[in-house]
Amino acid sequence: MTGTSIVRTHGLTKHYGATVALRDLDLEVERGEVFGYLGPNGAGKTTTLRLLMGLLRPTSGAAEVDGLDAWHDSVEVRRRVGYLSGEPALYPKLTGAQHVDFLGHLRGTDGRLAAKRFAERLDLDLGRPSRELSKGNRQKLALVLALMSLPDLLVLDEPTGGLDPLAQQEFQAIVRETTGEGRSVLLSSHVLSEVQRVADRVGVLREGRLIAVDRLATLRERSLHHIRATFADAVEPLTFAGVPGVRDLQVHDHSMSCSAPETALDAVIKEVGRHTVLDFECAEAELEETFLAYYEKEAVHAP
Amino acid sequence: MLRSVFAKTAYDQRRSLLGWVAAIVLLVLMYAGIWPSIRDQPSMSDFLNTMPEAFRSLFASSGADMSTPVGYIQIEFMSFIGPTLVIVYAVAQGSRAVAGEEDRRTMDLLLAEPVSRSRLLLEKATAMVAGTVVLTATLGLALVVEGQLFDMVIPVDRIGAAMLHLALLGLVFGAIALAIGAVTGDVGLSRAVPAGIAVVGYLVNGLGPMVSWLEPLQRYSPFFQYIGHDPLRTGVSGPAAAVAAATVLVLVALAVVGFRRRDVHG
Ligand SMILES: Nc1ncnc2c1ncn2[C@@H]1O[C@H](COP(=O)(O)OP(=O)(O)O)[C@@H](O)[C@H]1O
Ligand SMILES: [Mg+2]
Repeated sequence: MTGTSIVRTHGLTKHYGATVALRDLDLEVERGEVFGYLGPNGAGKTTTLRLLMGLLRPTSGAAEVDGLDAWHDSVEVRRRVGYLSGEPALYPKLTGAQHVDFLGHLRGTDGRLAAKRFAERLDLDLGRPSRELSKGNRQKLALVLALMSLPDLLVLDEPTGGLDPLAQQEFQAIVRETTGEGRSVLLSSHVLSEVQRVADRVGVLREGRLIAVDRLATLRERSLHHIRATFADAVEPLTFAGVPGVRDLQVHDHSMSCSAPETALDAVIKEVGRHTVLDFECAEAELEETFLAYYEKEAVHAP
Repeated sequence: MLRSVFAKTAYDQRRSLLGWVAAIVLLVLMYAGIWPSIRDQPSMSDFLNTMPEAFRSLFASSGADMSTPVGYIQIEFMSFIGPTLVIVYAVAQGSRAVAGEEDRRTMDLLLAEPVSRSRLLLEKATAMVAGTVVLTATLGLALVVEGQLFDMVIPVDRIGAAMLHLALLGLVFGAIALAIGAVTGDVGLSRAVPAGIAVVGYLVNGLGPMVSWLEPLQRYSPFFQYIGHDPLRTGVSGPAAAVAAATVLVLVALAVVGFRRRDVHG
């Protein structure tokens, strides 16, 4: 049964010799959503996506795309999916248009018109051999090749790496239109900022384990901020310790530092405002830190 | 032009194949050009007869006579240079087919499309066969046409037979390269193994008649299937051609099975 999920994995596990790249992954991507697949380098993101594409054979467990087994029915799966590899390689002597032509023939659908439109939006010249393109433009071409068949599912491995800010914005617009048409997107990244404008849900992978899946809005609320303030007078630690959500609190007579999730910021700042402030700093923490703070324990304690 | 994996592979080869064709035409021209002076110098054959038997056996085939066009081409061309050229070409194609595509990481691009691994491999194998046929057909044509210019006349059907066996010889080694590349994804290995087997097979075939413990092995050498029956003199050998063709088919089948089972290198 296809159900509501376009991607579903059960106990998906991949070993490379002694290295366990992915353990017991249960992941679902719903139809019509953008799923941000996050994790530091080496977490197993690329491994997961290549398992979905049937490029890797699972050590155990299985992955399904649109109800089809990713390994055994790989050809049918690929008919439904547009894939951007994590380190896309192209044919150096072929132009963008020749890539479009060749891969379109392999797929059996003419992607030329769509490719031309995507290339224009990303400001990419399809007439030049790929070896003459800059790294950013090669990335754009690989992206166009994944997009051009307007597939039911886009599987994009770190798609915005190497793209200039303008192209990144255009890419985000394209992703949103895709889901607007009821199609789905699974994209990986090692930084939250790359997916936070487009993802509906986010999954976080660490050392081959999925440690959290959440709606982006929830994740945002939890996103940790570092706060540091210096005051004209000595302050009482207890006044800050009473604010819900505050952690790592340190108070040394005239100064205070702590971490707090986005939802607690207002309360912290109001507390700070009751004193005479000489200096104030507030910065969003790295994604990794947020996850370590909130999800690691849950994952460890999970049955 | 780029309608299939086969067409793309052929398209990629077009320049290098043109280079190979030009080289072959020139090489044959050179051999044909010096034929008249070899023919008029009977001492060449005498010289050959004074060489150690092992040496003659390695570089000349049984009873070849340098004073006839057939003997001359047999010794000078078909016993070493010709097979080397065709084997080098076929091994390069076989190695490039799967392992080479992975080495340049473009396999992910191909296998992102709904094309089965078997189909991809078979189209690549077909391109290797087509290229090898073009190469040996050119060689045969050059021998006929350029031979005429210098009175180096060999019956066309015999040249055709020798070219058929030469193409099969190249394809055996090309298929070894293809299979090793398909099973391991390792470009280096997919070139080194057929090269090693070619050297051993060449020596076994050449020295077999003289070294008693090698003799029973001689008929397993691909070079024996190629030249053991002396195709320039006796024409096509059905059994020898069948053995070579079956070897190629088995290797391609192994390549398909091996490639379907494993992880693609990214
Ligand atoms: N072909 C391979 N052979 C051995 N180890 C690999 C291979 N590919 C990936 N790994 C290892 O598997 C782990 C996960 O890698 P990967 O899926 O590429 O992570 P990510 O894409 O999240 O950076 C890493 O420890 C990496 O070193
Ligand atoms: Mg990766």
